[in-house]
Amino acid sequence: MINGSLAPVKAVITDVRQESPGVKTFTIEPAGTFTMETHPMAKPGQFNMLGYPGVGEAPISFSVLPSGEGKKNKKDKKGKKIFGHTVRTAGRVTGFLSQFGRGDELFLRGPFGRGWPLEEVMGKHLLLITGGLGLAPLRPVIEMARSLAPIEVTLLHGARGPEDIIFKTEFARWQRVGAVKIGLTVDNPGQEQEIAGDIKIHSGLITELIRPLRIEPAQTIAFICGPEIMMRFSARELMLKGMSGSAIHVSVERRMKCGTGHCGHCQIGPWFTCKDGPVFAYDQLKGLPDVIL
Amino acid sequence: MTGASAFQKDYKTIIPVEALARFVERLGEQYTLTGPVGGGLTARFEDVSSFSQMDLDYQSTMLPPGKKYLFEPVQEVLSFDISEGRFLEDHKDPQMRKRALIGLHPCDVNAILYLDKVFLGQYTDPFYRIRRENIFTIALNCKSVTDLCFCHLVGAGPYLKARSGYDILLTELRGLLTDSGVDSGGSGADMDGGEKKFLLELASEKARDLFHALSPDKGKPPEEKDLAKIKEMEAALLKTFKKNLDMEAVQNALLARPDHHALKETADSRCLSCSNCVMVCPTCFCHDVRDETDLALSRVKKIRRWDACQDISFARVHGGNFRAQRYARLRQFVFHKLDYDTQFGMKATVGCGRCIRWCPTGIDLTEIAKAMME
Amino acid sequence: MSFYKKFRLHKKDVHSPKEKNPEKKRVGFFKFSCCTGCGFELAYFQRSLKETLESFDFTFFRLASSAGSPEGPFDLALVEGAVTEPFQIVEIKKIRAASKVLYAVGSCAIVGGIPAIKALAPEMEVERAAYRERLYEMSSTRPHVIGDYVKVDGCIRGCPPGERDLEEALASVLIGKEPEFIEYSVCMECKMAGNACVLLEDGLPCMGPVTNAGCGALCPAHHRACYSCFGLMGQANVPALKGKFRKLGFTEEDIEKRFFTLFGALGETGQ
Repeated sequence: MINGSLAPVKAVITDVRQESPGVKTFTIEPAGTFTMETHPMAKPGQFNMLGYPGVGEAPISFSVLPSGEGKKNKKDKKGKKIFGHTVRTAGRVTGFLSQFGRGDELFLRGPFGRGWPLEEVMGKHLLLITGGLGLAPLRPVIEMARSLAPIEVTLLHGARGPEDIIFKTEFARWQRVGAVKIGLTVDNPGQEQEIAGDIKIHSGLITELIRPLRIEPAQTIAFICGPEIMMRFSARELMLKGMSGSAIHVSVERRMKCGTGHCGHCQIGPWFTCKDGPVFAYDQLKGLPDVIL
Repeated sequence: MTGASAFQKDYKTIIPVEALARFVERLGEQYTLTGPVGGGLTARFEDVSSFSQMDLDYQSTMLPPGKKYLFEPVQEVLSFDISEGRFLEDHKDPQMRKRALIGLHPCDVNAILYLDKVFLGQYTDPFYRIRRENIFTIALNCKSVTDLCFCHLVGAGPYLKARSGYDILLTELRGLLTDSGVDSGGSGADMDGGEKKFLLELASEKARDLFHALSPDKGKPPEEKDLAKIKEMEAALLKTFKKNLDMEAVQNALLARPDHHALKETADSRCLSCSNCVMVCPTCFCHDVRDETDLALSRVKKIRRWDACQDISFARVHGGNFRAQRYARLRQFVFHKLDYDTQFGMKATVGCGRCIRWCPTGIDLTEIAKAMME
Repeated sequence: MSFYKKFRLHKKDVHSPKEKNPEKKRVGFFKFSCCTGCGFELAYFQRSLKETLESFDFTFFRLASSAGSPEGPFDLALVEGAVTEPFQIVEIKKIRAASKVLYAVGSCAIVGGIPAIKALAPEMEVERAAYRERLYEMSSTRPHVIGDYVKVDGCIRGCPPGERDLEEALASVLIGKEPEFIEYSVCMECKMAGNACVLLEDGLPCMGPVTNAGCGALCPAHHRACYSCFGLMGQANVPALKGKFRKLGFTEEDIEKRFFTLFGALGETGQ
């Protein structure tokens, strides 16, 4: 049995990067008694409860993992292991965190939840479909993709407009170093027609990028993260291509207070999003009430 | 928990009520005694100073005893010292006295077994654990059944079948040594030369040790005919249930009709979203956690309090609400109780009927389920 | 660095303790048409009065002091009462312009409260009944809640408000977070307190099931029916409770007039 205490630990923000309007990536270094060694190693797709006393906590996925950058651990200049969270200014907690800068302290608990089923990737075409901030929980997967031994990696990403595309400077590296095939699309096309690395920005729905894909259904595994309605239509598109719901994995968002399956807010049917998810096989959620999937 | 080692529930004895009273009062030297007072359908579990204060003929309580004492309505779980910039240690509640919960009906014992799965599962809740470890549970098989009880449909009563997770099980013997059959209820001494007796079964090592150390009268072993009589009493009691629902058929059947008109109509015409059902439910475990900061900015207290899926804000996230509609919230309650057995490997209802009794408009989850399966 | 440390350094070290501390949050408390009960509640802020004065400077609060100017600027404006006179419309707009955060306080400001009773009859009839021959001196309007005229950042419900929501409101301004006000029914507080149910056990017309909590179920705890002085909660199912009252034997007139018009006649402020 793991301790279900609500006591968080302190951590320090070592870097803040503005990804897009209203979206920042906080690089975080454990402080005090909390080290990566005392803390269980997080997996891509898992999350921390990030917050500040007096304000509350919000579940935020890891977008940078110590083990996430290729084979090397992600370390800062002094060689300390660090991790990161990409946060959109939205509600009470994230709105509060958005004023934080380098050197500021915050508090966190975690890691919680079931991550992406990385063990199933080997020998498969890894298809990553993301919308908006949904790219963040899959960023560590992209960074470590080669070590998972897929036969191919494709990333399809959709955003509202070109300015809303997060991790913009990293696509070229993913393409070059990771041999990731990349498709980008936006709802509202702007001036920008392509981003560094000559990746063309399409305009339209993400499903329009999925439709022309050639995939071998039995040899493909899909990880999808984005707004629920986008995940619904993406999964449907993949199933029309013959993929089974058990090979399509989605990461969902729910209200959470504890992260330990106690407070009950995040329940979807018989599941607790915090401990049974947030990554679910599409089959697990399909047809349950109060999901759009 | 309490009896986790494979203690065999094999010690049975028949003791007169006076002997039981003496044992309980000796127990009171080590434990706070908490039992039903007030009687009838609106009894309350309260701390008592003597055995005679309790009404063991009570039918039901509004607040379930297990939840009331193991998972308190409002609880400060942490505090943060702003000037030191750190969280203080978890409140271990060292003053907490050991508590003997006396006279729990089988439904309420089963509800505690359910809460054990919630709070002592993959993650342990430290507050629940410390209370659970300090509680001594004396269960009492039911003498009567209310119109709203349906424990028999989920195996949670009227006689307790679980073999561990509590300490002592009592069954009041009535109509023994007579041939007139089981009496029709009521209280007090009858049939047996005016003496009220209980079959007492020890269900944990702690109970065995305490009973042998404290009880001045160990009673006498039950005879075959006594046990046969108890079986008869149980069978007779089972015939008095009014509610019926095919619980096996319910599993997955509700889920297949999530937008059934019975749900929507009940929600529109009768559901007040007042959350009374959730508050009185012995297995409802949902709670909210929020930070309260004092206005001198010296302390932040993390407060946990009961929350309910019927609240409009329960499933709200920034930019949306996963259960914005009233019927979706009512559905969450009904489905969780009757359909989502896979969540903890058991039905989330114990059939106590409290949610029906304390609903201002009498919404009955079994009636909704029946209508949905027609 | 910790957020609070930054805040406190700023607050304490820059100014000597004797001089008036301009880093305290400036609060204005304003009264429109109401009984001033919410102002009294704040002045009697029992659990937190001392702490409140450490962190807030009430630069305008007529009930507490005749000093101070209503001009602002304010970090926080607290406004009690309903709008029932034309000049109040101008005032509330000025207050809004001078304030970073504005919370409506109490039922009159949020749902109409007692002043809203006059919305049940034509304005002319109400004024004639109240002022008779001096009617020409009157320039009264239909009652309106604060949120009808200005943007309201939050509602501190109650008649008067409970301390929990008041504390949350003030703390949120201090920390700079969105407040989290109570949104559930009185029944929840009532059950958590273990009170007997006055609706089901005593047959009293208790409005608890549709009323926003925050009072700690004060009336039911004293065996009285809740009369919804905090106003209806979000998505309150009024027809369902009316049906229950009918079953208890109350007449249509009773139900409409006695229970469902006193508070909440004007509906929710536009937040």
